[in-house]
Amino acid sequence: MQNNNVDIVKVIESKLKGKVKIELGRLGKAAITTSNGLHRDVFKAMVEADEKTGIVALTGLDLGATLSVLYHTRTSNAFLTVKVEVPKEDPKIQTIVDIIPGAAFHELEVTDLFGVIFAGNENPGHFVLTDNWPMGVYPLRKDVNANAIKLNPSPPEEAAPPENGRLVKIIIGPQHPALLEPEKFAVTVDGETVVKVEPRIGYVHRGIEKAAESRTYLQDIYLVERICGICTTIHACNFCETVEKLLKTEVPQRGKYLRVLALELNRLHSHFLTLGHAGLEIGYETLFQYFWRDREPIMDLIELTSGNRVYPSIMTIGGVRRDLKDTDIPKIKSTMTDLRSKLPFYRQIYANEPSLRARMKNVGVLKREDALKLCVVGPVARASGVDIDVRKDEPYEAYGEIPFNKVIYTDGDTWARMNVRMDEVEESINIIEYVLDHMPTGPFRVKVPRAVPAGEAVNRVEAPRGELFCYIKSNGTALPERVKVRTPTYANIPAFLKTAIGENIADIPPNFVSLDPCFSCTDR
Amino acid sequence: MTKKTTKKARISPMFRRAVSHIFTKPATKQYPFVKPILPEDYRGQQVFDSKLCIGCGLCSRDCPAKAIEMVDVEGKKRPQFRLDQCIFCYQCAESCPRNAIKTSVFYELATTDKSSLVMKPQASAQKGA
Amino acid sequence: MERKIEARLQNRVGPMVAGPGGILQPLADLIKLLTKEDIEPRDAKKLVFRYAPLIAFAVMVFAMYFLPIDGASVLSTTGFNGDLIVILAFVTIANFLLFLSGWASCNPYGTIGSARVLTQFLGYDIPLTLLALTPAYIAGSLSIFAISSAQVTPYIPFIIMAPWAFVLFVITMQAELEKDPFDIPHADNEVVGGLETEYTGGRLAFLHLTRDVQIVFGAALVVELFLGGPHGPVFFGVPAFWFTLWFVLKLIAVVAITEYITVVFARLRIDQVLSVNWKIMLPAAILSLVLTIAMVTWIYPRVF
Repeated sequence: MQNNNVDIVKVIESKLKGKVKIELGRLGKAAITTSNGLHRDVFKAMVEADEKTGIVALTGLDLGATLSVLYHTRTSNAFLTVKVEVPKEDPKIQTIVDIIPGAAFHELEVTDLFGVIFAGNENPGHFVLTDNWPMGVYPLRKDVNANAIKLNPSPPEEAAPPENGRLVKIIIGPQHPALLEPEKFAVTVDGETVVKVEPRIGYVHRGIEKAAESRTYLQDIYLVERICGICTTIHACNFCETVEKLLKTEVPQRGKYLRVLALELNRLHSHFLTLGHAGLEIGYETLFQYFWRDREPIMDLIELTSGNRVYPSIMTIGGVRRDLKDTDIPKIKSTMTDLRSKLPFYRQIYANEPSLRARMKNVGVLKREDALKLCVVGPVARASGVDIDVRKDEPYEAYGEIPFNKVIYTDGDTWARMNVRMDEVEESINIIEYVLDHMPTGPFRVKVPRAVPAGEAVNRVEAPRGELFCYIKSNGTALPERVKVRTPTYANIPAFLKTAIGENIADIPPNFVSLDPCFSCTDR
Repeated sequence: MTKKTTKKARISPMFRRAVSHIFTKPATKQYPFVKPILPEDYRGQQVFDSKLCIGCGLCSRDCPAKAIEMVDVEGKKRPQFRLDQCIFCYQCAESCPRNAIKTSVFYELATTDKSSLVMKPQASAQKGA
Repeated sequence: MERKIEARLQNRVGPMVAGPGGILQPLADLIKLLTKEDIEPRDAKKLVFRYAPLIAFAVMVFAMYFLPIDGASVLSTTGFNGDLIVILAFVTIANFLLFLSGWASCNPYGTIGSARVLTQFLGYDIPLTLLALTPAYIAGSLSIFAISSAQVTPYIPFIIMAPWAFVLFVITMQAELEKDPFDIPHADNEVVGGLETEYTGGRLAFLHLTRDVQIVFGAALVVELFLGGPHGPVFFGVPAFWFTLWFVLKLIAVVAITEYITVVFARLRIDQVLSVNWKIMLPAAILSLVLTIAMVTWIYPRVF
């Protein structure tokens, strides 16, 4: 049931008249200020009115005497923010995990970084911070003294957990061949069936959000670009777009098209990486080698258009940094044609190869209701029948003018997720060819002032792994006051915890890779 | 777009493809014997022209990695690049009002001697390093 | 050779440095492993942990001893009637010792990996023995030497007489040797190293050696039973040289076939492996034996 025409702001206004303050046009469609306790009624009203209500992110803010928590929410046709403010001496807010289960991870992060306690969703240890971080020190608050923090000694080695009868606890990670990056998953198995998965994330937490507060906006582009090594361009683009919203500047048309070109090349190489990695996880090394061999021309194209294979650094505030030479266009087009001719081979393998189908079909099924409740994003959601794609829902850059299709599958298993990515590869090839054919002339960047006016801005884009969100608060100086980035893998890991239960241990790697984990993104 | 239904089960094309690869050239480029051909605006090591530099220090201010330090060379301020800190983003080249920093395709910077990674600026009388 | 073939099928070059064209890479790996430190976990069962890999290796090498390589006198005296069954028993013992070595590591990955080894090889031993009996039936003897020589006099290797048995035997051997698509016991994506997880240094070298010898042994058995062993046309000089050469060439051919199967398929889950065994391989092995007996008794005497 798609409630596409529900005006969610009117629904809230009618149900909670007088108890909330609604400001239209700020922080998305509307900023709704409410108090602790009433925010639960707001969310209940939203979930009842629109089933596709999902939490995008929770931003914590340190406002001096109070702490503010912004609940960024999306519905089928709107994006709005619910604000709750609590005093610093007693920062307690009631949890909304029972209304929207996908908010669990976000609340835990705000607890760790700001010290806001969510009654009903408490965690005894740390969530994104390391285990030897001292309790009671909240790094993202403004009054914390970085030089005075002393780390606790490392906690003692976990003794091998006593075996509870048939149940064995296997610890996958932090170092494990199945994972690209370190995270710990304690998997309790009964024979070969998974009973419970307990995650511990935060191994790659580098404190990028805090680091962004001590660098200028221009330097922050490069910092934010390095949140992830695979989806670099989209992080930089997201950040630049948010700053451009604060500056109220518009990127010229040619700049927008060049940005789309860079973003789609990034999406192509990321999807090829995942498709190959999935082959590796099911033991299909040959498929892995073939996919990565076909990824090389894409990397060469990225190098051609931006000067570097992995960190293109092509985005800047106001446009792109370098122009596309006309002599490069035929090369890009011929590579796209080559890639397009290789796709049928891979499609046939996915459709017909018996061992691949045996490993991927009906593995890790995520049903549509679970996908909606856990607020998953990106190809994981689209494979379960939830049609969200920020490029279509809230077009940014030149996506409003470029024709392409949303790729939706309804099976919800690993096979469907991989197929979604393969179809998205074809859509990206189409987009790139359209962009090259319709490239407007003119300038590709505008000059922007270095000081950004005070204000707040939010922005969402579609990274290869899903919806990427950024919130920036500026106080008029050259340094930002708060930068918050919510990455798609952070929202998708709860889905893994759900889909792994009841499966074989041998199904954990393909299940896991199919949601395309990027832990550098998760931990920032 | 709904799920594509599979037609009759056909044999996976992998069988033929794997065999055909015995007869094709391998896709591996045998570096270091075969070097890749890089585009001309590849972001390799910086080329700094001391004659054009006016010592404004914008490159040092804007460097995200804090890899540029303005040092005193014969009474004038010139940037010193620390390539072991540099992330090769070339924000310095963009911020430079006189276009004194340019790209090059030289990328084989690996060395066992860290001091060779510091690009010391020459005086403006000679050509830059 | 295995790694080079795999690499070529995947459109890349594989190891290039060790030996001519990189063929000696596994040897280089072994030598490197022998120079590394031997670490022993505190909780491992010492005796089994230390000696099981060595005994497994010794058993495998001893099993290799019975395979005639140069077609002539030296090894024929060591073969005896019934050594086919003895060799298969040795393979089972060696696999069992591998399982024990993983079990003694006291590591959850090792436990799961070795449990998988046990289920897999015990299951696949049955069709393997049945299928090995097929050429034995055609030759009328259980001595490997006799089987391979029986393919000489009318020079018809058993692969032509019983091709179904050859195909099934290769697939079952693939499962015994734990190669793709059956390599789940040492699937490094799930159980890190499987039974090898806790082993380092020289002991790991012996585990690897055992596995490599197993692969050669499996291929050699296929060559002996179905491809006529070392026999082949002799052109000039000493017959023993030519016989050895033909043996090596046939061995490489069989390794190429098994590598091809490895490359083309993904890895099956353990329950899928077991279902392939009990639902497909075992009935097929029985059918193949029955078919061979039928063919030999009624049809072949008229044809040949």
